[in-house]
Amino acid sequence: MHAVVDTRTLRVGSTNIRLLESGSGDPLLFLHGSGDLGTWPTVLDSLAQSFHVLRPDHPGFNLSDDDPDIARVSDIAFTYLEMLDQLGISSCVLAGVSLGGWIAAEMACMEPSRIPTLLLIDPIGLRQRGTFPDYFMLTPAELAESVYATPELRQEMSEMMATLENEEQLFARYLRNRASMAHLGWNPYNHDPKLAARLRRVTSDTTIVWGAEDHLVPVETLDAWLEALPHAKPVIISDAGHLPHIEQTDRFLSAIDHITAPESTSTGTK
Amino acid sequence: MKIIGFHLMPWPYLTPADISGSDSSWITMSNALYDPKKGHELYETYFDQLVYYDEVGLDGVAVNEHHQTPYGLMPSANVTAAMLVPRTKGTIAILGNALPLHENPLRVAEEIAYLDVVSGGRIISGFVRGIGAEYHSMSMDPSVSRERFYEAHDLIIKAWTEPGPWEWYGRHYKFRYVNTWPRPFQQPHPPIWSPSQGSSETVEWAARNKYVYLQTFSDTKSSERIFGDVREAHERLHGLVMPELIGWSVPVYVGDTDEQALAEAKPHMEYLFNDVLRMRKDQLFPAGYLTVESTQRVMSAKAKGLGTGRKTCEELMDAGIVIVGSADTVRDTMIDRQQRFGFGNFSGIFHFGTLPDELFRASVKRFADHVQPSIAPLGLPTGHALSAHNPQEKAS
Repeated sequence: MHAVVDTRTLRVGSTNIRLLESGSGDPLLFLHGSGDLGTWPTVLDSLAQSFHVLRPDHPGFNLSDDDPDIARVSDIAFTYLEMLDQLGISSCVLAGVSLGGWIAAEMACMEPSRIPTLLLIDPIGLRQRGTFPDYFMLTPAELAESVYATPELRQEMSEMMATLENEEQLFARYLRNRASMAHLGWNPYNHDPKLAARLRRVTSDTTIVWGAEDHLVPVETLDAWLEALPHAKPVIISDAGHLPHIEQTDRFLSAIDHITAPESTSTGTK
Repeated sequence: MKIIGFHLMPWPYLTPADISGSDSSWITMSNALYDPKKGHELYETYFDQLVYYDEVGLDGVAVNEHHQTPYGLMPSANVTAAMLVPRTKGTIAILGNALPLHENPLRVAEEIAYLDVVSGGRIISGFVRGIGAEYHSMSMDPSVSRERFYEAHDLIIKAWTEPGPWEWYGRHYKFRYVNTWPRPFQQPHPPIWSPSQGSSETVEWAARNKYVYLQTFSDTKSSERIFGDVREAHERLHGLVMPELIGWSVPVYVGDTDEQALAEAKPHMEYLFNDVLRMRKDQLFPAGYLTVESTQRVMSAKAKGLGTGRKTCEELMDAGIVIVGSADTVRDTMIDRQQRFGFGNFSGIFHFGTLPDELFRASVKRFADHVQPSIAPLGLPTGHALSAHNPQEKAS
């Protein structure tokens, strides 16, 4: 069953942020990846059964404004901390996928006490390990082939992405997102050499989920995160690529049931 | 008309085997294919060829910079120009420094001023953004390319024209002291050229600043439209069209006859366009290098960026991207293009691809003897362009 998803626009500083939200309970801030074209995936419906899920479009992405002052990922992290201030959220579950994982990790370094629970899904932000293509040289179809692991979904998505240029609005959104990602991750390639040391400040209960067959950010990179966050709980999901929460939603949800249904936590009050 | 001879200094030794199995001669084509011993001889030939432009009486020579590719083996236009200063008498056009790729624009300001003083004012300073692929090669964020270009330009012009020291705190460049020694020989600064493939923003920017807009590597149809935009911008902004601010750059080969010219030029021209210029579209137009609207246009399957698909020499000739023919044909073509485009500067790319030295020299000699005399009197300056940043010259 689909939850009702509300849309609103928040002004943070001088930037309009589009925010999608659904559900009730403790707040869960979900930060999307750079390839996300502004969607509300079904996995968020499931999370909205336990949480008040807030899913903003990052500045420079989808239906949020550009913010010329954003030059690096930590700038977006500050923007979202300010957004939480405005929303009166003093504590939340923070989840992020890929680029969103990088932003989430930065936020958890900045204000560890505000983020009791951190969920990273195939995050970028630390120097990648293994063999991987250059994200910035991939066509939309090649990107889809790198992102998805299961043959059917891979074929379906790469065929869809191959004709993306015919969908004028979506293609424009894709190109803008890609340019914004270039601004954040062109050099050093999709990571910040200082992040690993900063992660020592993180006190959150941290779970790091990775698709076993992630060709874009190989699962070997999980080791780098575990070296920086030795208390984090690693979960590797088989038959999944860069977006395990999309590709293997059920396995993903059972892997994080310690977050969605913890025995000790009381129900939300909203 | 000012007529200069351009050189790309390509690596001419790629074999079909070197090229097969990849879709780009940029960024990742291994430099294991480069042979420094052959490279040494090649540079001797290429520098002699540039000097030859000067010897046969062209008005100048032109060089540029490219990075990590066999397409062009001048990693620094300024170093190349420095080696040409003592060997030539005419203009040395640096077309140009790829400003956004440089970490420090003050180095560009210093080096150009240095070259200008040593050469006694023979330098033309071109400013470019660099080819899209070079943003990959130099790991430079393409999404701020245009911003960096404008800011670096503004900083360099100010460094040349406003006595220092002063501070510069821009978005991309920060300097506590700007105080460039030496200052340029030409006052207030060397002529600025803006080589481009026709971005409307660049056309407008060059016209507004009274810089030479140089159209490169384009077919006749696009050139005609873009030069129309240039002339319109001149009229609108300055009340008259200034041919001295309009330039055209094109590969040229002059043979004895049309047939012989085609036979001689064909494999070498095709090597340039198909073997070393070739790259993937997402390398030619990296993320954010163009606006979203422009990217949407150029990335569509219908749009064919040069270098992203194979072309024969005949197709390139038919499109007007290159000129190949007898002296009569080249002369007639150039007169026709001058009348249609209105340029007062011509940059001939007389060396291309694998062209052997003897063919290069024969072609340049035929051009100098039989074509140059007919086109030199065309596109003469109106005299108004000199006033761009220089009230003294206007008054004199």
